[in-house]
Amino acid sequence: MLQQIIALIIILYFIIRLLLQKQKQQISKNEFIFWFIFWIFSAVAISSLKWIDKLAINFGFSSSGIDILLYIGIIILFYLIFKIRLKLENIEKNITKIVRKDALEKIKKYDK
Amino acid sequence: MGSRCIDPILKNPTKARDDIQIKMNQNIFIIIPAFNEEKNIAQVIKNLLEHNYQIVVVDDCSTDNTFEILKQFPITVLKHEINRGQGAALQTGTDFALKNNAEIIVHFDADGQYLVNEIQQTLVSLLNNEVDIILGSRFLQKNKKMPFAKRKIIHPVSRVINRLITGIKLTDAHCGYRVLSNKAGQKIKIFQDRMSHNTEIISQIKKNNLRFKEVPVTVIYNEFGQGVGSGFKILKEICLSKLSS
Repeated sequence: MLQQIIALIIILYFIIRLLLQKQKQQISKNEFIFWFIFWIFSAVAISSLKWIDKLAINFGFSSSGIDILLYIGIIILFYLIFKIRLKLENIEKNITKIVRKDALEKIKKYDK
Repeated sequence: MGSRCIDPILKNPTKARDDIQIKMNQNIFIIIPAFNEEKNIAQVIKNLLEHNYQIVVVDDCSTDNTFEILKQFPITVLKHEINRGQGAALQTGTDFALKNNAEIIVHFDADGQYLVNEIQQTLVSLLNNEVDIILGSRFLQKNKKMPFAKRKIIHPVSRVINRLITGIKLTDAHCGYRVLSNKAGQKIKIFQDRMSHNTEIISQIKKNNLRFKEVPVTVIYNEFGQGVGSGFKILKEICLSKLSS
């Protein structure tokens, strides 16, 4: 019970920070919606641990509800890292395009 | 009119042949990607200048005196303001060559590993329109100067992996020397900025049904070059590019 309360306080802190960042326009609308829903779901999941425990048992898992949440959290993290890597790959390609364009435009200065 | 044209040729057939060769070489663009090659680049360029090729060096944001050394030669220098990798530099040079109506594009390393006087003999099949692209191979002739680990372990493994990925069987999957016709230069686009561009080029040869041929090239090893770690990096780059496309 105490652990759930601490976790909910931490989630509340993150939600408040998120709202402040949105107010200062430090994040886009889509990013705000994504993380807001994420933290709400997290809060609901933490609050419903006993129900998740029963669900896990019904599905035949030996782990407790909190373990299931941890596994799901890790899977989500790996997926997000994968998406970030793909985005970085595209950013690198775009940087190369710009650097190439610049090199080809400045050719006259170095040509003899 | 006819006799006046033929007379100078008959008087000095060797000079006439050399003049024709010089004119032909002006349509041959040598693309040299360079990164921190202050020790070797000057000699490579001096050797190339003897043949009247169009020399294009792409300085990939060198941190040594490579760029300063290049300025003293009557060549074309393209400068990447941010280091992007050998693949990116080759594509920049190739784009320049195509814009300037190059008939033949040669990819040539800046470290003096390849012999300049072998370029002409490797062009024969391309000039006869037998192939669209020529790939250099360090293994078509005995090459005792290659380090043992590269000759017996690293390259055989890379050949197998290359065949699995591209479907093309080559004796040398990672030779930096290649010659492209204008058609091949237009069809092949290098998107892999770093060292996996070798595999990408081979994949595109197959994808575009380009005629290719391997020719023997002599290689002089000044240092070990790419090792096993580079091989893993290349595999990682290939996997990421397939996932992001």
